[in-house]
Amino acid sequence: MDAQDQYGTGGAVRRLFLVAGAAALTLTVGLVTPLNPAPQRAEAENGKRVLTVAVAQSVDSLSPFLAARLVSTSIHRLTYEYLTNYDPKDNHAVPGLATAWKPSADKLTWTYTIRDDSTWSDGKRVTAEDAAWTFTTMMTDEGAATANGSFVANFEKVTAPSPTKLVIELKKPQATMAALDVPIVPKHVWEKVGDFSKFNNDKKFPVVGNGPFVLTDYKTDSYVRLKPNKSFWRGAPKFDELVFKYYKDGDAAVAALQKGEVSFVSGLTPAQAAALKSRQDVRVNDAPGRRFYALATNPGARAKNGERFGDGHESLLHQKVRRALFMAVDRRTVVDKVFQGHAVEGEGYIPPRFPEYSWKPGQDQRITYDPAGAARLLDEAGYRKNGDGRRVGKDGKPITYRVLCHATDPQDKAVGQYLKEWFGDLGIGVSLDCRDNVSDPWLAGEYDLAFDGWSVNPDPDFVLSIHTCGALPATPEDTGATDNFICDKKYDALYERQLAEYDATRRADIVKRMESRLYDTGYMNVMAYPNAVEAYRTDQIASITTMPEAAGNIYGQDGYWSWWSATPAASDGSSGGSAQTGVIIGIVAGVVVLAGLGVFFAVRRRATTEDRE
Amino acid sequence: MTTKDPDEPAASRPVPAASRPVPAEAGPRALARRRRRASAARFWARYRTHRSGLFGLGALALFALVALTAPLTVGSGVQSVTDAPGRPMESPSAEFPLGTDQFGRSLLGLVVWGARVSLLVGLLAAVLSVAIGTLIGITAGHFRGWFATLMMRITDWFLVMPTLVLAIVLATVLSRSLGTVVLAIGVTTWPTTARLVRAQTLAVEARPYIERARALGGGHWHVMSRHVLPNVMPLVLAQTTLIISSAILAEATLAFLGLGDPTVVSWGGLLQDAREAGAVSAGKWWYLVPPGLAIAVVALAFTLCGRAVESVLNPRLGVAR
Repeated sequence: MDAQDQYGTGGAVRRLFLVAGAAALTLTVGLVTPLNPAPQRAEAENGKRVLTVAVAQSVDSLSPFLAARLVSTSIHRLTYEYLTNYDPKDNHAVPGLATAWKPSADKLTWTYTIRDDSTWSDGKRVTAEDAAWTFTTMMTDEGAATANGSFVANFEKVTAPSPTKLVIELKKPQATMAALDVPIVPKHVWEKVGDFSKFNNDKKFPVVGNGPFVLTDYKTDSYVRLKPNKSFWRGAPKFDELVFKYYKDGDAAVAALQKGEVSFVSGLTPAQAAALKSRQDVRVNDAPGRRFYALATNPGARAKNGERFGDGHESLLHQKVRRALFMAVDRRTVVDKVFQGHAVEGEGYIPPRFPEYSWKPGQDQRITYDPAGAARLLDEAGYRKNGDGRRVGKDGKPITYRVLCHATDPQDKAVGQYLKEWFGDLGIGVSLDCRDNVSDPWLAGEYDLAFDGWSVNPDPDFVLSIHTCGALPATPEDTGATDNFICDKKYDALYERQLAEYDATRRADIVKRMESRLYDTGYMNVMAYPNAVEAYRTDQIASITTMPEAAGNIYGQDGYWSWWSATPAASDGSSGGSAQTGVIIGIVAGVVVLAGLGVFFAVRRRATTEDRE
Repeated sequence: MTTKDPDEPAASRPVPAASRPVPAEAGPRALARRRRRASAARFWARYRTHRSGLFGLGALALFALVALTAPLTVGSGVQSVTDAPGRPMESPSAEFPLGTDQFGRSLLGLVVWGARVSLLVGLLAAVLSVAIGTLIGITAGHFRGWFATLMMRITDWFLVMPTLVLAIVLATVLSRSLGTVVLAIGVTTWPTTARLVRAQTLAVEARPYIERARALGGGHWHVMSRHVLPNVMPLVLAQTTLIISSAILAEATLAFLGLGDPTVVSWGGLLQDAREAGAVSAGKWWYLVPPGLAIAVVALAFTLCGRAVESVLNPRLGVAR
């Protein structure tokens, strides 16, 4: 589920306007006055080179033990070193805090060599003891396990026999040991924390860390400020300051980019990307994304104790019905019309960006767009049309599916309109339930279909784990790690096998079989893999590393490569100030709105004439 | 105006020929009919002198015609995204005079089709708002005492509440549908009407003929429905016309903020689509300007009509013609 999207690049797009009812404020703030009245220009200001990144997603927490959102985890990547990192070229694990790692013969003990040239920003040396303390705290304190508990669930014991040696003992073999995405925190600072479930790490600045940047300041929904760590072992970043600045409105962020107030904007719409492409001083990066965009089906929500809850439509329990819905969706149109080519047609669960795990259905397994076939399947499943041409459920009522959509995500609404017509042709009604916060009905299982999207990490374990029975909530009152209440024995058996498989090729084979199984169940219709569409000013950023290097994203990488590698442009020329058509349009629209408001107030004034003295 | 009020300001106006004393042989019904016709004619004669009012009326007639004939001119197919004829966000051309939207649908067709929803919601919300306001205003003015105090405090409370915020909350809490939007606007915009109507009710009830009606045995219901209501009706009519324009704006605002039904085409919804698709920064003006202008023109037309009606009914306002 996207609300918990761990590393979602989509998170940025999806929660452009996170704050629920404040859409109005969002708008006025975005269009009229920036939240921060004193804009930090990205240009040299008393000689300082500042890299300003426009973001929209609110920080959930700055504590590495709690943060789950993309913006927060990205900041943690920058401020804390993880045991390993991913190579920007091909995603293979490369040294981070650990310089080497190897399993024992019985696969149950992993030994990491911790580097001796990393220091905390308060001058203390980073040792294996810090790592051991971090993992042990997550294993013993439930509050500390909130964000990354899944990584340590299978840990038996973590010890630090010497400052450069970390030993992790496992209960069962675990294939993800070189991909532990857990920020290692300084023990001498964090052992003073009382309640990990409440501590948000946002009171005392600068925050002690050992990543390429040091967190120096943060104001909720206003900015996050970072300074380069001059003693970073891989080399200090080249900008003098990195600022994540909040723009809750996408168009406002683009306008700021056009004016040079920010150096980088992500999550562009096709129209914005097309408009920015024509500018000399802006480079648009349109790269394959790490995210899938799917239509999830409520398989009958249930808890681990077997109790069923929620109110998903009974017809969705039939595989034939799910298959028919799958067949009624024209994925080609979704890519061409909604994403306007800035996406790849969806097939398997894992995007082709990760070729070793990506899977495509064979010719005979592939479910293609076939409305006639879908109608036949629905007839076979016993859901026939009534006199009005509507398909009728077992309860005798015409079927109308509630589709849960993110009100903040224009794509959901657009695809929803297509679904309404595609399913409508089949005789099935669709009511689009767009909400700012989809979590409540989602966790309660009160939906039929839902727009779903997750960003996939180089190691796919996490996105695979959210469809296992083990991820279901313990009771209907609990919150599980599950994405969509899927619980399939065959899938689970394969999941266990891949987790225990240390051979990369064999593990990839099992992962592909899992994807095949998921595809056949029809619970998840992956419609597209949206591209990362981002833009930066070439007069402020001379070069920046994408990941993968050949054609990859900049914002929301699995690592700190982009901001760490960014080099400032030689001349910080004046901001591109030529009057933009967009600005003129904005003014015209503003005048129209003002005229409307004028009329409105005139009316209000007239209406109260008699009341006024 | 069904009953003749002894103190009606009309007495002081130049009396047109038609309303001169009528021959005694006509029956009371015919008499009433003739009188109504005459007062309508008088109303129209005075309304005609307001040029801006006529302009507003003309614009409204045009929009109403466009909205009512939309199924014949553009057809409901114009909303279809799967059969969209153009490419996304095409600029205006001979085929699409106002360009296309993000799905490749003709914007001219959408603006015409959107008029139906915007006008319908505007009208229904205004009627609901005025109905609530009239009911509360008349009862509060009639019953006085603790009931009136309570009603007026509630009214005051709604009056000081930021209308838009309250409407947003309502539209968020309730399910997304046109009915919700109508309700959200209706229940948030009634307080001014209530205050106005109450003031008028107090004025009417102070007149001696109400006392006479009471003395003759007229109950609460009789007084309110037979004597007070007809006398506040002109005010209510003018108020309705004025509220419609703010209701249309409110509908557009809510839709623009994404609180309407996303699958229903309305002017505010089109603006919202345009913003979400990034049409502003991309400079696709044809996506923004037509619905924006349509909202402004219709709101203006209703306001002009409302003000003209108001000044005809209450010459003391002395509104410039």
